[in-house]
Amino acid sequence: MELRELFTAEAVKLELEADSKDAILKELIELLGLDEKSDTILFKTLKRRENLGSTGIGKGIAIPHCRSLVVNKLCLAYGRKPGGMDFNAIDDAPVQHFFLIVAPPLEVSNQYLPVLGKIAQFAKDPDIPGRLEEISQPEEFLDLLREKAPR
Amino acid sequence: MTATSRMHPQLVLLLELQDLRSQHRELGEEEGAGEVERAHFHIDLEKARSELEDKIQELEASLNPVVRKRYQRVLPNRDRVVVPVINGVCYGCFVSIPTATVGDEGAHQELQGCENCGRFIYILS
Ligand SMILES: [Zn+2]
Repeated sequence: MELRELFTAEAVKLELEADSKDAILKELIELLGLDEKSDTILFKTLKRRENLGSTGIGKGIAIPHCRSLVVNKLCLAYGRKPGGMDFNAIDDAPVQHFFLIVAPPLEVSNQYLPVLGKIAQFAKDPDIPGRLEEISQPEEFLDLLREKAPR
Repeated sequence: MTATSRMHPQLVLLLELQDLRSQHRELGEEEGAGEVERAHFHIDLEKARSELEDKIQELEASLNPVVRKRYQRVLPNRDRVVVPVINGVCYGCFVSIPTATVGDEGAHQELQGCENCGRFIYILS
């Protein structure tokens, strides 16, 4: 399964508005289009994961992720915060690019970990942060995945 | 009123607990999630697991006694105490749940169990 096929244009937001860590997580969760009660549980679970150690992996990129009962399939979203914001990233640099990954506790297809690994690998490509900043339409994000994502 | 305030408060706790248990289990994996968390996110696995254990105990203690008793009765032999119901099927035992249980909107807020396996259920639309 290619990363491109796991994202939809609706789950891509190029101008995140939130300016705190909690609010960013909530804004990303909204992109998944779940119901309100699921949003609340998911927020708690993602936040618990962040408390164990930030998912900001450096170079302006964060990958909040968790398994949760509230989804029945692998769900992904991408959000961009122009100018970036503090996310306690491991290099202390502001984060502009957020990849959200949520998977059910049990998956038949076992995609969660390979996808998490592929996104981390994609994000570590030195060209990627610059290319992500040039994007002006959600479709261009999907095109970039098609071009650059590991297979 | 927010959605979670309409939801049975014990169900909210149970869902949180179940998600924490998934996290805890994964961080214990030598080659799976544990390895990914260590390699890409620099997580100290032992410390993270012990933090989660504390949180799990805290949440378990805050369950109301009746629910906690049922939770403990289900837990010893089944790692998943709360399971989703998707398309009317319990994902704990894969048996169909009567439509009366899952049918109406009000049911989504109730604390319910699967009649077949006894697990708490969470209805996913
Ligand atoms: Zn069952």
